Amino acid sequence: MDNELHNHTYVVTGATSGIGLAAAEILVRRGAGVIGVGRSAERCKAVEAHLHHIHPDAPVHYLVADLSLQKNIHQVADEILNQLAGTGKPVLDGLLNNAGTFTYWMILTAEGIEMQWAVNHLAPFLLTHRLIPALQAAPLARVVTVSSGSHRHGWINWNDPQLRRCYNGLRAYGNTKLANILFTLEFNRRLGTGSAIRAFAANPGLVKTDIGMKGNPAIAGLVWKLRRSGGIPAEESARGIVYLLTEPSIQESTEVYWKHGIPQHASRRALDPAAATRLWVLSEKMCGLDGGNRHDAA
Amino acid sequence: MMPPDPASNHKPLIAITGATGGLGRAFAVECASRSWDLFLTDLAPAPLAILASSLETTYGISVVTHTCDLTDPSSRAQMFDRIRDESIRFWGLINVAGLDHEGPFFEQSDRQIRSILRLNIEATLGMIHELLPFRAPLTPFRIINVASLAAFYPMPVKATYAASKRFLLDFSLALREELRGLGATVTVLCPAGMPTTASCIAGIEAQGWMGQITTRDVGRVANQTLDAALAGRVIVIPGGVNRLLQILGGLAPASLVARIIFQRWTSARQKRNWISPAIPQVET
Ligand SMILES: NC(=O)c1ccc[n+]([C@@H]2O[C@H](COP(=O)([O-])OP(=O)(O)OC[C@H]3O[C@@H](n4cnc5c(N)ncnc54)[C@H](OP(=O)(O)O)[C@@H]3O)[C@@H](O)[C@H]2O)c1
Repeated sequence: MDNELHNHTYVVTGATSGIGLAAAEILVRRGAGVIGVGRSAERCKAVEAHLHHIHPDAPVHYLVADLSLQKNIHQVADEILNQLAGTGKPVLDGLLNNAGTFTYWMILTAEGIEMQWAVNHLAPFLLTHRLIPALQAAPLARVVTVSSGSHRHGWINWNDPQLRRCYNGLRAYGNTKLANILFTLEFNRRLGTGSAIRAFAANPGLVKTDIGMKGNPAIAGLVWKLRRSGGIPAEESARGIVYLLTEPSIQESTEVYWKHGIPQHASRRALDPAAATRLWVLSEKMCGLDGGNRHDAA
Repeated sequence: MMPPDPASNHKPLIAITGATGGLGRAFAVECASRSWDLFLTDLAPAPLAILASSLETTYGISVVTHTCDLTDPSSRAQMFDRIRDESIRFWGLINVAGLDHEGPFFEQSDRQIRSILRLNIEATLGMIHELLPFRAPLTPFRIINVASLAAFYPMPVKATYAASKRFLLDFSLALREELRGLGATVTVLCPAGMPTTASCIAGIEAQGWMGQITTRDVGRVANQTLDAALAGRVIVIPGGVNRLLQILGGLAPASLVARIIFQRWTSARQKRNWISPAIPQVET
């Protein structure tokens, strides 16, 4: 236990299991304040208690939000900003966009958006937007989005980016992970050099978590079980991700895509600046951030 | 009740019933992505408002919503009054609202049986009858009725439901001929399982590999059905396997098909009860 991140605050989404939970643990061990976001009140409560136990002095607070709905994202963003304001120091040092999901069948959210597109891509996009004021207040701030090696299977068809008309769960997943890198690329470009905020996309490697089993057909769960048996523990993967979130020396790095703390080649499609801009504009529209009427958080 | 955007009165709309359910939502999104303005109705106001505002933001269309209990004739009448008062015009109607209470007939309450008949049959016919006078001039009026693959067979434990869907199938085919002269078309959708709710997914799971190969994603079904309606096609059965099942089912005597279906269901229910007993199934 140490306190080198004392006085630093990080938001971690999907912090109730897998990689997100492991990342929260590492941060708390190093004395950081963690605002965790999870979709289950019960799991949030249990994990919060567990983290308090690890480091009784680290300020830990969990918020419950199902990030598949933009209405909830606005609400949780308000809560986070309020919480930060309440500490007298409305500063956020990093946001870890980790919550992610895999859905075998096509599910539309209540807002009519394909589930993986909503949770894996639009949620990081919108939450990041909403937290920019607090991130900008930090001397050095990071936005790390957990992508995946599967981004290589991604190929965004601009006529049907959510694959509504020809859904395939794995391809849809790959598309969202490709979108994570394109988002990171465009975000950095828009921030420009010298910004206090720097964004990175992380490939966590193959990690032994339950992601492929939640709510999917038994056969898909079985395939995931076999595949993940060659994977690494979540703690190991989370170390590389926390590095991206906290390491001061890489602030000026122009690398976008990292695995275990080392820059990696992303696919050609992930580094296409025109696609990145196009995706940004589309995402703004889908989140009502383009000046049109937006959802009210209330 | 929310006053409509006055601009939306100028462009004819597509009406969708059961709009916030799994398939209804998929139809709404598919229409919106084609830049068609919408009239959405369902039972609860909150989900309607969420869906409508998201579609307006994302696709830049206008959406009118109306909360209505379609099984209640006076609630329906209020909706038609509003349509008349605001001179809303339509160029299409997608009847998605429908329900089932799965289980042996004699175990069901009178109310349950009546609600199936009221929603699946009476409300669907009411919608078509009352909306036709408000069809937009000069454009073909497209009607889509959502039946089910169950419409092709007598189905034990879904007896009332399957027969109500059979009613819709036959009714649609007949009405289609009557409406030819009016420039209206009728298309009837007969889907197999669609993974829209947790209980539907559990049901598909319980059917094992059969569930896997007959299931079609709602997005694809909605897209394919709209194309079919625009082309004036009559019956849409999504999925090659399902079309084959329909043909094979037609070759065997109906009494034999009913017996096989009952046996399959009995074993599926045994499996499903392991996961969660007595799932009430509501399909919209
Ligand atoms: N495991 C791998 O090999 C691997 C490989 C490449 C990339 N990734 C990425 O790594 C990230 C973390 O995945 P993981 O493997 O750690 O999986 P995981 O254990 O399933 O964790 C995912 C987290 O996201 C949360 N979540 C899911 N849907 C949500 C929603 N609608 N609203 C709010 N939170 C939601 C989950 O909450 P609950 O705790 O309530 O389930 C969980 O905390 C994901 O972005 C995934 O795509 C994983």
